[in-house]
Amino acid sequence: MWKIIKNEWLYFSRTRWLTGISLGFIIILIGSILLGHLQTKEETERYTQAKNELRADWENIDAMNPHSAAHYGTYVFKPANLLSSLDDGVNSTTGNVLRVEGHVQNEIVHSEASQMQTVSKFGKLKSSLLLQYIVPILLIFLAFNSISDEKRSGRLKLLVLQGAKPISIVLAKTVSIWLYGIALLTLSILAYALFNTDALNAEILSRTGLFFLSYALYYFIITGLSVFFSARWQNSTIALTSMLGIWIIWTIFLPNILMSSVEKWHELPSRNEFKAEMKEDRSKGIDGHNPADERGKQLEQLTLKEYGVDSLSQLPINFDGLRMQADEEYGNQVWDKHFGNLREVLNQQKQKYQLGGIFNPFISLQNASMGFAGNDNLHHQEFLVDVENYRRDFIKMLNDEHAYGGSKTGDWGWKANNDFFKSVPDFKYNPTALTSVFPHYSIDLLLLSIWTIVVVGLMVIGTRKMQIL
Amino acid sequence: MNSLRTFLYEWKHFLRNPFKLVAVLLFIIAGVYGLHNGYSLYDNQTTEIEKIQKKMEVDMQDYLTQYEQGKLTDENRPWIDMGTPFWAIWNTPTYHFKTPSPAMVYSTGQAEQYGYYKRITFWASPYDADMAEEIANPERLQVGTLDFTFVLLFLLPLLLLILVYNLKSAETELGFMPLIEVQSASKHKWLLTRYLFYVLFIAFTITILLLYGATLTDVFATAGDAFAQMLIFTLLYLLFWVVVFYLISKNGKSILGNTLKMVGVWLVFAFIIPAIVHQSVSIVQPANLMTDFIEVRDKQQDLYADDSLFQKKLIGLFPEIKNSPVYQDSTKISLATNYSASALVNELKKESIQPIEEENQEKNGLIQATYWFNPVTFFQNKFNSITQTHYVDYQSYRNEIQALIDKRTALLVRELWNDAKVDKVKYLEYSELLSITN
Repeated sequence: MWKIIKNEWLYFSRTRWLTGISLGFIIILIGSILLGHLQTKEETERYTQAKNELRADWENIDAMNPHSAAHYGTYVFKPANLLSSLDDGVNSTTGNVLRVEGHVQNEIVHSEASQMQTVSKFGKLKSSLLLQYIVPILLIFLAFNSISDEKRSGRLKLLVLQGAKPISIVLAKTVSIWLYGIALLTLSILAYALFNTDALNAEILSRTGLFFLSYALYYFIITGLSVFFSARWQNSTIALTSMLGIWIIWTIFLPNILMSSVEKWHELPSRNEFKAEMKEDRSKGIDGHNPADERGKQLEQLTLKEYGVDSLSQLPINFDGLRMQADEEYGNQVWDKHFGNLREVLNQQKQKYQLGGIFNPFISLQNASMGFAGNDNLHHQEFLVDVENYRRDFIKMLNDEHAYGGSKTGDWGWKANNDFFKSVPDFKYNPTALTSVFPHYSIDLLLLSIWTIVVVGLMVIGTRKMQIL
Repeated sequence: MNSLRTFLYEWKHFLRNPFKLVAVLLFIIAGVYGLHNGYSLYDNQTTEIEKIQKKMEVDMQDYLTQYEQGKLTDENRPWIDMGTPFWAIWNTPTYHFKTPSPAMVYSTGQAEQYGYYKRITFWASPYDADMAEEIANPERLQVGTLDFTFVLLFLLPLLLLILVYNLKSAETELGFMPLIEVQSASKHKWLLTRYLFYVLFIAFTITILLLYGATLTDVFATAGDAFAQMLIFTLLYLLFWVVVFYLISKNGKSILGNTLKMVGVWLVFAFIIPAIVHQSVSIVQPANLMTDFIEVRDKQQDLYADDSLFQKKLIGLFPEIKNSPVYQDSTKISLATNYSASALVNELKKESIQPIEEENQEKNGLIQATYWFNPVTFFQNKFNSITQTHYVDYQSYRNEIQALIDKRTALLVRELWNDAKVDKVKYLEYSELLSITN
């Protein structure tokens, strides 16, 4: 078997068109990593600059009423992910800027896609684009006549007469072509590692390892299937056209159709409905800005009782801060309910889409690729939750200062000093650890593994029925 | 063998090839599916707009009833007085819509990246959070919608490839070419005739699909020229691929070689070139984090902190204030000044938006400069433009929103400083005035 693999590679190296295509492809592949690296660098610079500017604005607040500061708020920018140069995932369609302020959980806005006209339907030149769309085509072209050519030339007969088992020949052909894909994959991972040597850590290595594994499995499926068709059919053109058809259906048709379908099965509300429902729920709680509000009055009575005083003016604290925090806490329940529902629907959509991998391994690859690169919707949602948690701590600190910082109820002219504003921590993004999200992608890896087994099974069965003599 | 006979033989050849028939069938199914996706988005947006319009009418009626009943204040919110211009204009519900073109059935374009309804308030801006896309699954947006344009841009060349990949090369491999050269006046004419058959066949299929799409949203009644433009540009796009593939067929000698070249050219034009351009534009001009727009927040604080600067800027913007009755009345001047703040903030926002939009235009310029070697992106944007789902269409929508905000704040300032009293008639005047963009 190893002899056949060695011979195949010798043949590849002597095939001029393949050498030419491989060289061209390697240049584009390395170029994609370089461009991706440059983009991440540019984005990181812009991100750091914007983040520092915003933080400086906050720390330069000389003196301000804490509640005015809650309205002044701050902004969180979505940081560039180191693995974006491998797979950019949803980054260009999601927003980049999130306003953090009192009374409301905002949505992330200003996506890159909205800042220019359409360029590429399949995204930027990232490794994922080449590895997902182009490498499989190359593998198909290498594999479609691998057995039929041997049959036509009579070499297959010769090999069998020399004692080679047909299944070993088919497997050897598959492995030799698969290794070509693996070589390109390894090259892109190595190029990526080379450009990011300083940042490599266990998390990144394990993510790239799983990224590699997903592609390796997919390439085996594509190669194995092409070799199977080559073994089954006498006419290599039919093998080629069948595999091209499968490629078109898997990569162009089904992802689009299935994604649109899952969005219909698990419908998201329109923005208008979403806002109206939140407004409705929000109106049932405390209105922090309305002292005449009924629920506010109840809180007032409880607070007076707690402090054992008769009027707000006798309170040693500022009741306005307490009312604002009560308003926030009620609002948080509303946001949790509605944004939680949104996340739930998005999760359901993702799960259904992932199941599409049962009949289309490309879907599993696509999911695993952007998931292990940390750029899928799941990671995006984790980022949004992180920001919201920060917002809640941020606003609570301001409301606590308002309540307990030394002012009295109704004293809206009172201002917290610069030391306080400096003491409010900045948002620190802790990228989602692979261990916490890995179970979400196990289905993708499982389906890719099942497909691999099915393809091996097909090859075994196909070889039995193969006409050799 | 004359051309007509070649043409008719090609029809027979096509009918006897199940692979080609299945490819055509799949193309038609994808086309119909794409048209229905476009129609679905058109329908969703139209329905949502109708819902908002109805809600707006109900709100409007509530306010009119308040005027009729003389209930201009709210017990729970005593600071609200509908008899004053500030609260009357505040409570004049105005939405501006980007009404979808019926031609959206052909291309959803960038329609899912932007909002299409916007409530106009004193503090609004065309870059507010509600101007972002509808709530959608970002992974779906990333994968993209299989609309009719997608079918045209990416599947049409594949269909053509499947139909023509073995023309001439199959005969060359089988050794029939000398026979064909003897039977035909010219082998180029023979190949051209065979190509012509498939071109006419695809053109006919596309025309039928376009006509079917037109019936879904009544394109002819409201956007008739969109149909003609779609047809013309689709045929031009088809011609582009026909020329490329014809040259490959003419010069190629083997089925495998031709297929490889055709697939290679398709991958380069459909995937690699647009992806390189996209990546390069992102490096030259990364996503704008809108810090200029955010800075308005601080400029606003500075403005509020300095009364004289505030007054100076306000009078600079609205010189007529100096001659207004409120300006002469020291008891009213403070409230009118405070209520006029939104007009100044609007100016600050406009100043901050300008460089952002210039940067976006630069990006578009960079993309357009690649059209000569990036035909897929050119045609994609052309189709978006025809169906009014292009960036420029949403830029125009943003401009209209800005004009409505300008109008609203200018009306507010004028009415505030003239100490206008609002009744039902005046309120209706406001409502009418504030909903017209020009």
